[in-house]
Amino acid sequence: DLNQLIMNYLIIEGYKDAAEKFSEESGLESSVDLGSIEERMQIRFAVQNGDIKSAIERVNDLNPDLLDTDPRLYFHLQQQHLIELIHEGRAEEALEFAQEELAPHGEEHPELLRELERTMALLAFDMAAVVKSPLAELLDFGHRQKTANELNAALLAAHSQPREAKLPALLQLLAWTQEQLDEKANYPRISNIVSGVLQEREK
Amino acid sequence: MASTQQHVQFVQQLQSPNPVEVYSALRTIKNAIIGSTTKKSLYFKLEIIPHVTSLLALDDTDVQIRVQATAVISSLAHKDEEAARQLLDSGVVGSLINQIAPGADCVLTEASVRALNALLSYESIKLGVEKHVGLMVPYLLSIITEAKDTSRVYEMRAHARIELAILVLGKLCMTEARQYTIANTGVIDMLASLLPCGYPRLQIAALKALSALSYENMEICGALFLVKLKHKTYAEAILDLARNQDPDISLNACMCISNMSRMRVGDLLKDIQTVVVPALVKLLKTPGFSALQVVQSLGYLCHEDADIQSAAKNAGVISELIKILSVIEGQVDADFVDQEYNMRMVKGVFLTLGTIVSTNEECRRKAVEDQALVYLVRAMGHSDNGVKAAACLCTRYIIRSVSICRTHVPESGILAPLLVLLQDKTADVQVTASATLVNLLTDFSPLRADALKAGLVDILAKLLSSQNSTVCRNALWSIRNLLVGIDDDTRKEIIEKIKIETLFSLSSAPHEAFLQEHALGALRNVVVDSMLGINAVFDTMGNDRVIALLRQAMRSDAESAIKVHGLYLANNIAVRSQEHCGIIVGDEWLLRSIASHVTNTSSEVAIAALWCINSIASHRVPSQSQQESDGESVEEAGVCRYIAELSALDLQATLERMLDDPHLNLDVRDRVRSCLDYFPEAET
Repeated sequence: DLNQLIMNYLIIEGYKDAAEKFSEESGLESSVDLGSIEERMQIRFAVQNGDIKSAIERVNDLNPDLLDTDPRLYFHLQQQHLIELIHEGRAEEALEFAQEELAPHGEEHPELLRELERTMALLAFDMAAVVKSPLAELLDFGHRQKTANELNAALLAAHSQPREAKLPALLQLLAWTQEQLDEKANYPRISNIVSGVLQEREK
Repeated sequence: MASTQQHVQFVQQLQSPNPVEVYSALRTIKNAIIGSTTKKSLYFKLEIIPHVTSLLALDDTDVQIRVQATAVISSLAHKDEEAARQLLDSGVVGSLINQIAPGADCVLTEASVRALNALLSYESIKLGVEKHVGLMVPYLLSIITEAKDTSRVYEMRAHARIELAILVLGKLCMTEARQYTIANTGVIDMLASLLPCGYPRLQIAALKALSALSYENMEICGALFLVKLKHKTYAEAILDLARNQDPDISLNACMCISNMSRMRVGDLLKDIQTVVVPALVKLLKTPGFSALQVVQSLGYLCHEDADIQSAAKNAGVISELIKILSVIEGQVDADFVDQEYNMRMVKGVFLTLGTIVSTNEECRRKAVEDQALVYLVRAMGHSDNGVKAAACLCTRYIIRSVSICRTHVPESGILAPLLVLLQDKTADVQVTASATLVNLLTDFSPLRADALKAGLVDILAKLLSSQNSTVCRNALWSIRNLLVGIDDDTRKEIIEKIKIETLFSLSSAPHEAFLQEHALGALRNVVVDSMLGINAVFDTMGNDRVIALLRQAMRSDAESAIKVHGLYLANNIAVRSQEHCGIIVGDEWLLRSIASHVTNTSSEVAIAALWCINSIASHRVPSQSQQESDGESVEEAGVCRYIAELSALDLQATLERMLDDPHLNLDVRDRVRSCLDYFPEAET
């Protein structure tokens, strides 16, 4: 039902206050303890702000097993920290960090070495060259967001919650279905998902 | 980033009288080691364990400090088995158990079950906590019973505690005794009630615990089968979970069903064919999910069950397994690939494939069609002994097929690498290679001649002196097969190189019944249909030792298989050579023993004894003129030569009584009739 979809979205995306308000107004009881959202969101914000060390400490307080049992996630957090060091121009520190922290991790998990190599390549070029190269996406805010999403999904899964909200997936399905139907029939379709208005297509 | 000196200081700070400093040091250490194997190793070198365990051992240590210290223990335990062993030896488990007692701080309890869960990830540690089980189980149960109150609303910390407690309970089920101890607490109903709870982590934990509880335990599987949940049975609930989208839930549910199937509890074949096998195939194809676990689960499910093996074949499992081998082969020289994982995967695939083809001819044919032999032959040259041994095992099962042995095996190139593996330094490899060889040396195998040309007999002679009795047994078995239907020149070569003395000595190997059995089997085939063989045995060992060996084989306390081979050895001698038959008959104890075995409860032994009697009785007295020219006293011509000796044993009456038995085995009955043909008909 639609209310549950919205509640699901608010919980997973971490909108605690909105979820509490929505719960009051809709009368829908959440099956999740809304207090748990706060910690997860603080971790997410830390990553989005580039403060990976703080994010890791918070994760370790919340769930000390997570990074020990998910080497890929741990690697991506360390990689993001390395990127932040490079971004701040602390190249020497970045190099030392890569040698001490990331390289041994890569040795134990060779499938992660390719990503490590890409990240280390940032050290080989100056910023002006990097922003024009395919490596530019590593320095982009989008990469922080990607890391934050990965961490958020892992925290959700560790607490028996779905990794992703259902609403975006449903919207994607709607768009795909309409695309398929467009070739076959004329029907009232939603062209604007914000307004949600059904419109007849022009013949 | 902290320097090594700073790490040293953090460890020293743990001894500070200031709790704030201790707390701060612990937290810093915790954040340094979580996720980092190098940092864990560093702190082990800095001897952190005694510092941390002493903090937990003190009664007045602050709760917050305990939580951090426990988290450090938990992370260190994740390093490897050696690290966990050091922690176990430090006595920390006792402290952790105290921290999960009812009434303990919730956050501390969660940290402690987390640490126990990490420690118990290793087989040796699971066994090593025996003295703690009695105290641990009730504490864990008291945590798990919280599930009744939290099932409707997700409360993060409570769910984490319950999940971890269930996982620890499951990991304790290492022995049958512990399974019963835990099952008798009534926890089964509690765990089963969590199956439909809708919280994946709890469902997975419950499934793992139920799987561990019921593993190889028919009684507990039976008890589970009878469990009724709200609207369905336990089996129905598990099958629903096998269809779940979450791969971890699906896999663990499949394991639970596999346990019941292996214990033959419930009629689950149809469900396994339609739900479980397809679920496992789907998991095999799920990107990012551990295919190794799925492969191992498939092997477990298909073990010794021809119907499920067939279902696996029909679901495309064999092709999927071969596909995995193909992908891994393509990654052999690739960078950025976990070669160690790939190697374990290859080993797992071969073992599972071997299980699937072990009894089912169609499965073997399918595997060969999918080019399994190509991968197997290549794997025999692998650098890892485990892979080589697994490849040999799989090959051994595939070549159980006569048609495959005749057609595909000769062109597969299997012989050369197999002969190399027979001479491998590692016992495991030799065991599986020698077991594979047995099936290649049957008289219908085209590879037999090539193997002989390649110096097989010399290799077998060396294997007979192996310290590993299984290798020795397999060598004897191979020799036995090799001797069937061979020409005298080859027989002579085998006798000269293997040596009759060696076979005799192995026939009397103390405390090694299966060596005795196979050595006797080999001797039996040395003499079959061959005066060369018979003369070699008697000339080498002398009459007395041959008789002594036969007596030993036919002792009443000898195993049936040994008796069978002993009887056929006597039979093969007796039927071919009248002279040597006379030696056997001349030993009254031996003859009486042979006669007594015709009524053995084992039909195999009885038939062997009857053949022996048959062969002895087949020797006729020659014609009168022949007797006179030989200087023998004249006896009635055409009569069984040894009729007097056989009659003295009251054998005819025994055989006639056997015929009157309506329950007599048909094959035994046939043999009895043949034997009676040699005796005069009873006067009416």
